[in-house]
Amino acid sequence: MGNFKDYINGYTFGIKSLIVGLRTSMKVFREKNITEQYPENRHTTLYIPERHRAMLTMPHDENGNNKCVACGLCQMECPNGTIRITTETRETEEGKKKKFLVKYEYNLGSCMFCQLCVNICPHDAIKFTNDFENAVFEKEKLVLTLNKKN
Amino acid sequence: MSLFEIAFYVVAICIIVFSVMAVTTSSILRSATYLLFVLLSTGGVYAILGYTFLSAVQLMVYAGGIIVLYVFSILLTRSSGTMKYRVGKGKMTSVLITTIVGMALVMFILTTNNFAHNIIPQGIELPVKQIGHALIGTEKYQFVLPFEVLSVLLLASMIGSIMIARRKR
Amino acid sequence: MFDYYNLTPLLRSIHAFMCGIMPEWLAMTIEGIAVGLFIMIMYAILAIILIYMERKVCATFQCRIGPNRVGGKGGLLQVPADVIKILTKEIIYLKDNDKFLYGLAPFLVITASILTFSCLPWNKGGEILHMDIGIFFVLAASSIGVLGILLAGWSSNSKYTLIGAVRSGAMIISYELSIGISVLTMVILSGAMDIQAIVSNQSDGWNIFKGHIPALMAFIIYLIAGNAEANRAPFDLAEAEQELTAGYHTEYSGMHFGFFYLAEYLNLFITAGIAVTLFLGGWMPLHISGLDAFNAIMDYIPGVIWFVGKTFFIVFILMWIRWTFPRLRIDQVLILEWKYLMPLSLFVLLLMTVCKVFGWVF
Repeated sequence: MGNFKDYINGYTFGIKSLIVGLRTSMKVFREKNITEQYPENRHTTLYIPERHRAMLTMPHDENGNNKCVACGLCQMECPNGTIRITTETRETEEGKKKKFLVKYEYNLGSCMFCQLCVNICPHDAIKFTNDFENAVFEKEKLVLTLNKKN
Repeated sequence: MSLFEIAFYVVAICIIVFSVMAVTTSSILRSATYLLFVLLSTGGVYAILGYTFLSAVQLMVYAGGIIVLYVFSILLTRSSGTMKYRVGKGKMTSVLITTIVGMALVMFILTTNNFAHNIIPQGIELPVKQIGHALIGTEKYQFVLPFEVLSVLLLASMIGSIMIARRKR
Repeated sequence: MFDYYNLTPLLRSIHAFMCGIMPEWLAMTIEGIAVGLFIMIMYAILAIILIYMERKVCATFQCRIGPNRVGGKGGLLQVPADVIKILTKEIIYLKDNDKFLYGLAPFLVITASILTFSCLPWNKGGEILHMDIGIFFVLAASSIGVLGILLAGWSSNSKYTLIGAVRSGAMIISYELSIGISVLTMVILSGAMDIQAIVSNQSDGWNIFKGHIPALMAFIIYLIAGNAEANRAPFDLAEAEQELTAGYHTEYSGMHFGFFYLAEYLNLFITAGIAVTLFLGGWMPLHISGLDAFNAIMDYIPGVIWFVGKTFFIVFILMWIRWTFPRLRIDQVLILEWKYLMPLSLFVLLLMTVCKVFGWVF
């Protein structure tokens, strides 16, 4: 007789769990769609977190000066050899010899966005932005010059 | 020649061709498939006669049941590819003679007794209620006893097969 | 009462006109070809609608949008584009397999599906195959489809397809029992096997209201078993894509695969259509006793709209089930049928007989 009771209990348990499942999926059915329609929502609802690393940039102030001191630490730290710095040594007014940045080349194609360069930089001269639409048709266009002037 | 006759001849040719193919083919699964076509065409004959109930039973029990069972058991067993084997000349002639004599006998009976133009009107469907009453009625031309005996036989064979298939404890 | 859209006089007059200008056998042949073409076209159109609906409903159940790019807003041309693509694909024949059975299998499946499809009651006087045994013929014709699946699985000469086919065969044979018994329950309630008679018996109330508790139970059993018969999730273990790639039609390509795909979706529609015929009154409009004005308005809606509307409602319920439950294992499927559904449907059959005998139905 215990067997028969188990059998009936099996029925009720099964039906109950099926109804719970159906109710749950119906709840989801009535929820709003969360699909992001990417190219259309580019200027409206598209949200990329600030922390997303998509491209290395070098911020410039209003006079067009950057904070880079051409120490070359980022170039040394980069595991992929993405960064190439060209420097020249000039004499300052005080008569000291100092390295100046001529060209800061950054190859987006070989960057793996590890952020080691940003972490090592002693003057916070470079940082990653979340500007992610970087696709181009030629490989050469991926090599970017980050500084605006020498 | 009416449409019914054309349909009948088409179905009859189907039956003959497929039954010959079913026994001559070398692959066992093809043979089962041809047998399926034979049974389907037999169902077609019943439908032409107006026995749609019997034709549906034919479809369901033979095509949908027995053939599926055949195919299923062929799938579950390892079949050895071809079944080709040679038939001796003496055997062949004796089979041919038996077939021809049997066919002649059947044709003779059919033509002499006017079975062809028989009671069932062509194309008029036999109402299923009448069949049902005939199956479970107790009067003349009603068959409750054979029906029940058959169901008992079926039950017995089912119990028997379960007993055989059951694991011994 | 609801004779506004009766098709019988129109069809009769067409037949009379045809017989007037040509011999009867020619008229019959032409009409037969026309009806056959009509069935095929309806079949294709309904398949396109159902596939689109499935993709949209599935997307909504997963909080997505679904197809929305091809053909303007809503992706209306996505499925027609898929159909055109599948028509242009090559049909690949395998090496070392039985080519005849391999080619035959999809046609067996689709023939069974079309035969059952043509039994659906679309409107008053709008049935295509009309027989005195109607619903029994539907059951019989649908049982051929499983043979196509078994042959497809065997002749593809692959382990995946064979396992899929054997699973599907075992499952469909088992669930045919439950379907048969629940259909029989409704035949007892209606007292007829003729589909049109079953529908017109429901003019004073749909069967699901007339037969109350046993009819409702039979309805649920029918939906579960019909879902299994149509090889759809949670009973899609014949094609279980995670384990068997695509089950019995793994090796098929092009339109041969398309036939399986079409038959799968149309079997869904047929299952729903038969459920509507048996339980929800077919093309009968919804009537509430007492509200005469409401009933009169309902009568003005054509029967075909009622039928298709109700069928799509059932299709939606089946899709809801599909996108809710996970797939069952083969032993669970068989246990569900033989230990739970079968005894329950036998009990319902008995209950319905008792109710009918004592006049406890409306």
